[in-house]
Amino acid sequence: MASARKPAAGHRLEPWEVFQQAKEGDPMRHGGNVLAPDADLATHYARELYGRRQESHRLWIVRRADIRVLEDADLLDPPLDRSFKKPGGYVMRGKLEAARAKAGTEKPRARSEGHDRTGGRRSAGDQA
Amino acid sequence: MTDPLALDPVLPVRERSQRPWNDDLPHDERFRLFEEHVIAGGKVEATDWMPDEYRTGVLRFVEMHANSELMGVLPEREWIMRAPTLRRKLALTAKVQDEVGHAQLLYRVAEDLGKPREAMLEDLIAGKTKFHNVFHYPTRSWGDIGIIAWLVDAAAIVAQQALRDSSYAPYARTMQKICWEESVHIMHGRDVVVTLMTGTDAQRAMVQEALDRWWGPLMQMHGPRGDRARDRDLHWRIKAKTSEELRQEFLTIYVPRLRELGLVIPDPDLDYDASAKTWRYTEPDWNELRTVVTNHGPKSEERLEFRRINREETRWVRDSILGAASVAA
Amino acid sequence: MTGAVLALDPRLRTALAELVLTMADDEFVSGFTDSEWTGIAPILEEDVAMSSISQDELGHAKALFELLATVLDDGRDADALAYDRQPDEYRHARLLDHARGDWADTIARRFLYEIADEARLASIGTGYPPLANLVEKLRREERYHRMHATVWIDRLANGGAEPRRRLEAALAALSVDAATVFTPLAGEADLLEAGVVTRSLAAAEAAWRGDLTSILVPLGLRVPPAAAEPPVDGRSNHSEAFRWLWGEFTTVRRLDPTAVW
Repeated sequence: MASARKPAAGHRLEPWEVFQQAKEGDPMRHGGNVLAPDADLATHYARELYGRRQESHRLWIVRRADIRVLEDADLLDPPLDRSFKKPGGYVMRGKLEAARAKAGTEKPRARSEGHDRTGGRRSAGDQA
Repeated sequence: MTDPLALDPVLPVRERSQRPWNDDLPHDERFRLFEEHVIAGGKVEATDWMPDEYRTGVLRFVEMHANSELMGVLPEREWIMRAPTLRRKLALTAKVQDEVGHAQLLYRVAEDLGKPREAMLEDLIAGKTKFHNVFHYPTRSWGDIGIIAWLVDAAAIVAQQALRDSSYAPYARTMQKICWEESVHIMHGRDVVVTLMTGTDAQRAMVQEALDRWWGPLMQMHGPRGDRARDRDLHWRIKAKTSEELRQEFLTIYVPRLRELGLVIPDPDLDYDASAKTWRYTEPDWNELRTVVTNHGPKSEERLEFRRINREETRWVRDSILGAASVAA
Repeated sequence: MTGAVLALDPRLRTALAELVLTMADDEFVSGFTDSEWTGIAPILEEDVAMSSISQDELGHAKALFELLATVLDDGRDADALAYDRQPDEYRHARLLDHARGDWADTIARRFLYEIADEARLASIGTGYPPLANLVEKLRREERYHRMHATVWIDRLANGGAEPRRRLEAALAALSVDAATVFTPLAGEADLLEAGVVTRSLAAAEAAWRGDLTSILVPLGLRVPPAAAEPPVDGRSNHSEAFRWLWGEFTTVRRLDPTAVW
């Protein structure tokens, strides 16, 4: 006869964060959190609160205490200009007009989006 | 090698995003910076510093909302047993389940502000905290179930949609999930009502009778017209719309939908004033509202007692889940 | 589907209808009783979980009643079969006559029933394809129910003196009616011959006992003892608790059974 196994001393309710993937291939998105005393119940409750409506293809369940948070502005939003790392840092309209003027050419009709994400229907007539 | 200082920044240097009130500054300074941030539409997370007034304001607001979801289960619960078809039983069980789920989500938000769930449940049962008026009334027929699921949930969703932009981000995010789930309830409720209204004379009479009883509480639900300038919840952008704005929105959407079914709204003075672009109506009984939300409604005591007994009877399960450490602490 | 029904001879049709009715009534009554916890379970999260389980069971009952309607083909639809009978005409196992009780009573009843239902579903063969197809889906959903029940048996058994005492008392109280899911069916021989079932209820019961033993004994819990004789009225002579339940669930419908709700 097995002896009654006592739960671990100091068993506490802790928040577990739940991430959901709506359908196959989607990114994981934070859905919310559940309060549970251990991983099994956390998983069980996550399924109920974030998956009972067949709204999730996959769930990640993580102890909040295990999540490392980075929100340091010095690291994530440092003061010097870094626009060369973003699309918005490359505005060429003026230069293109000047180049066309010099070459005596017309703006080509936009047919499809180039790999720099310009020239598609949305920016037809404005190859910025 | 290119001199980095010679690079021509194309975009102006942005203000660094800072949360200066999280720094160790004098209190008044922190308060002022926080207030500016919130009034400008900024968001607050659970881990940010907050003035006491903001923290207590959000906690009170969220706690009442959580309490309402939990107490809101009781009027409908009895009718789960009596639902007249398999599909209705499934829909009603799922709806009530959602209310419990919403209570869970909202208590979680409140817990992260520092108040333990057990303390909130104790305060609710002891009558120290409140829950919305509509959940203090009896349900007398299947007609009530249709009316409640449709109109009470609709009135709630009007308020909840406005809360999706609350300054307190965890609450705002929860509202988005709740609004999505509530929309199904409204459809279920409307389906019940429409089915009854296309049925027998007895069924139609059942719905009208239910509407006659529920219209008063519905009109009181969003609360009395207040002074916008003195509303602290509006000031801190915990909520974004006034009681009257919510009530007007509710009337605009739902009065036509009720009338199209042939239902008579039991307020002969209810009318849309096109020039003022506002609904006129008989002034709701604010005394009734006050009496009810202070737990003197027809079912207040009974339902709180029911919850108290239920908690006592199930305490042993919670204690065993936690083993050595009980949640009651 | 109509083709399969027409292929049934009257005796097999009767036997099949009886089998499906017992399965449908079991899920129906079980789901109803479990749904009582909605809003009042010990923990909010567990409230949501138990509600899902009860909805699953009612969903299974609905699907089984729909199947039964096609087998009987007598003009009654699923709702009429579910609601429009007198209490004595219900054929659920007496295990499910027991009231909801406290959390331990519910977990004990769920556990005994889930393991029995698993053994019964494992006995369904391919002799009547519509039933076989439905059962395949039911088995997949029942996995979650079995998981939930066995985890809670474990938690209560190991959760301290009080939970253990309550669980032992609950299992003891249910002991007499525990095996009523396996009450013999009059048409069992016909079902076996047609391959609708692959083993007798007695064989399924033996499998159930084996399963119970492997879970309960290591936890130091008693397996309900086998009765000398199988219960004759294991699916009839229902309790006051069930009669009360019937009164509740037919309240609105009896106002006007011909109306659309």
